[in-house]
Amino acid sequence: MKIVIKYFLLLLLLTKASLADLKPSFIEFENEITFYAWLFPESPLYTNQKHNNYSIALESELYSEWSKGNNLVFRPFMLIDNQDNSRSHFDIREALYSWYGDDWESSIGVGQVFWGVTESKNLVDVINQFDAVYDPLFKTKLGQPLANLTLIRDSGYYELFVLPYFRERTSPGKKGRLRLDPEFSKGSTKFEGGSQWTPELALRWSNSFSDYDISVHSFIGYSREPSIDINIEDGKLKYEPNYQRVRQVGGTIQNTFEATLYKLEWLFRDGQKDSNFKRGGYFASVLGFEHTLYKMIGDVGDLGFLVEYNFDSRKSRSSDLLQDDIFIAARLTLNDADDTQMLLGSILDLDGDGQMYQVDFGKRLDDSLTFGIKGAVYQNGRRNSNLYVLRQDSWVEINFKQYF
Amino acid sequence: MIIFIRITVSILIILLSNISLTLAETPEEKGLRLAIEADLTGEGFIDTVSSSQMTLRNAQGEESIREFSSKTLEVENDGDKSIFIFHHPKDVKGTATLTFTHKTGPDDQWLYLPALKRVKRISSDNRSGAFVGSEFAYEDLSSQEIEKYTYKWIEDVPCPGDEQSECYVSESYPVEKSSGYTRRVSWVDISEHRARKIEFYDRKDKLLKTLIFTDYKQYLGKFWTAHTLKMVNHNTGKETDIAISETKYQTGLKDSDFNRQSLKRAR
Repeated sequence: MKIVIKYFLLLLLLTKASLADLKPSFIEFENEITFYAWLFPESPLYTNQKHNNYSIALESELYSEWSKGNNLVFRPFMLIDNQDNSRSHFDIREALYSWYGDDWESSIGVGQVFWGVTESKNLVDVINQFDAVYDPLFKTKLGQPLANLTLIRDSGYYELFVLPYFRERTSPGKKGRLRLDPEFSKGSTKFEGGSQWTPELALRWSNSFSDYDISVHSFIGYSREPSIDINIEDGKLKYEPNYQRVRQVGGTIQNTFEATLYKLEWLFRDGQKDSNFKRGGYFASVLGFEHTLYKMIGDVGDLGFLVEYNFDSRKSRSSDLLQDDIFIAARLTLNDADDTQMLLGSILDLDGDGQMYQVDFGKRLDDSLTFGIKGAVYQNGRRNSNLYVLRQDSWVEINFKQYF
Repeated sequence: MIIFIRITVSILIILLSNISLTLAETPEEKGLRLAIEADLTGEGFIDTVSSSQMTLRNAQGEESIREFSSKTLEVENDGDKSIFIFHHPKDVKGTATLTFTHKTGPDDQWLYLPALKRVKRISSDNRSGAFVGSEFAYEDLSSQEIEKYTYKWIEDVPCPGDEQSECYVSESYPVEKSSGYTRRVSWVDISEHRARKIEFYDRKDKLLKTLIFTDYKQYLGKFWTAHTLKMVNHNTGKETDIAISETKYQTGLKDSDFNRQSLKRAR
């Protein structure tokens, strides 16, 4: 109940502040409520874990402008889950003040940033932490405290980010599925070489040259992905999430040629521990293409094919599910009045470490109501691999989202 | 002497060009000349901002509504730059596209997805695709550049639905092979070069759609804008109406209002 009160208190405060005292010239207030059934057909692996979760998510967005050249967006989010207390959570997705001129933009607060071009994974997308307990497909992110300056020049877009505070990845609780630690005896989180308040820095340049969109970035800060240290304390195993400071350079290239997009994301990173707890440098990349056959389905529907190869020089020492894998997917866009869309994907490990299948279907039911089905199947993981741990946790999610 | 020759030569050129205009002009040349004249009537608009409501109607008469606004900037020596922003239905609110039209070659196009904060470069080969599930294709709504078609004048007839006015009927053939059409047949009034009706023929040269323009208003004493567009698909019986509720010319938009950064801010 605490998060519900927190949510409405904050919302009330900000609405009142921006409406009454600051007198904006333009204001918008939108809300959405989503009902989820998150179903697991197979029996859970660990005691305490439950079969199905039912949850409600509420998200509001308040947007205001005072004059051309500045704006404020405030977007709180809240999820209440009937089974897993750790899944019920509150987050400020955005609370960002921005001001801008012809060739620059600056912002401060809590923000969301997307970097990347590929579809199976975005190696270079480093600013925000994932809200993994809410979205196991890693598309939804937690708000990130940041200060940003972007310069727009003929030679490209230059972005500087200072990140003063590190967000931990959300993870399931004792009753939750998709849990990597069998005992659920969580130790305290470690932040090697600093604390959550140790600042992070990111720089990025990007530009377009006719059919090519190119970017390069550099980042110094905590890896968004924890390594899990296993300690024995009082004869009990303790799983301790451990974040290391990393240095990295990376980039993206996309070539858009007729109906085909050719894509590359690459990354050199140093400082992160691999699954043998060894610290070292590595190279990772995602290389692939997306080809669309326009008007293939019933005169108006588009059919797209995606193929991407995921590489990680650490191979089996990588804690990433995608380290020597082929991602193959089909995307169906019906272009109908209901905006019906579907993505069917599969990830095949070339080392023989299993497969993962995923589905994402969505359509509009009326002007303010949408319906979606998502799912993932985890199969044939090699013993002790991350995929193996998930072998009983294949899931399907059914959702209804109402806008008001 | 030299001056005399020059004058003679220029008189000759004028005479020759007059002859070619009146006598030797082929239907193709006349089609191109009319297209250029029509294009010139729109030249110098600098920028426009407009808001529109679109009504999609299926064969059973069920309707759904889309709302969007657009900004366009005239670019010297190249195609226009434009931003489309969707407002309704709610689940696509904030979705926006940025297009740099080019006179020759494919256009550059970026799509902004607000839920992911993602700007994605997309293929302009989607030109033949349905614009937000409507009967309009992207290419029907994109900036019409002379170089994107070849032309042929057919005949002069009374305007459809307005027998008092005289229209020329002209065919245009898309240059880009990704177009969904083999040809378009246009009825355009001779006096002001306002398009009254366009018929679209699909890749098999079968009549696919008819578009009717009405409610023309003139802006700044020069620029004519149709405020009601009605597209009928003869294959499916579906219709789409566009009602332009507001148009403003020369609002002071700048090049910096049409980049990937401003696309993310579009509302």
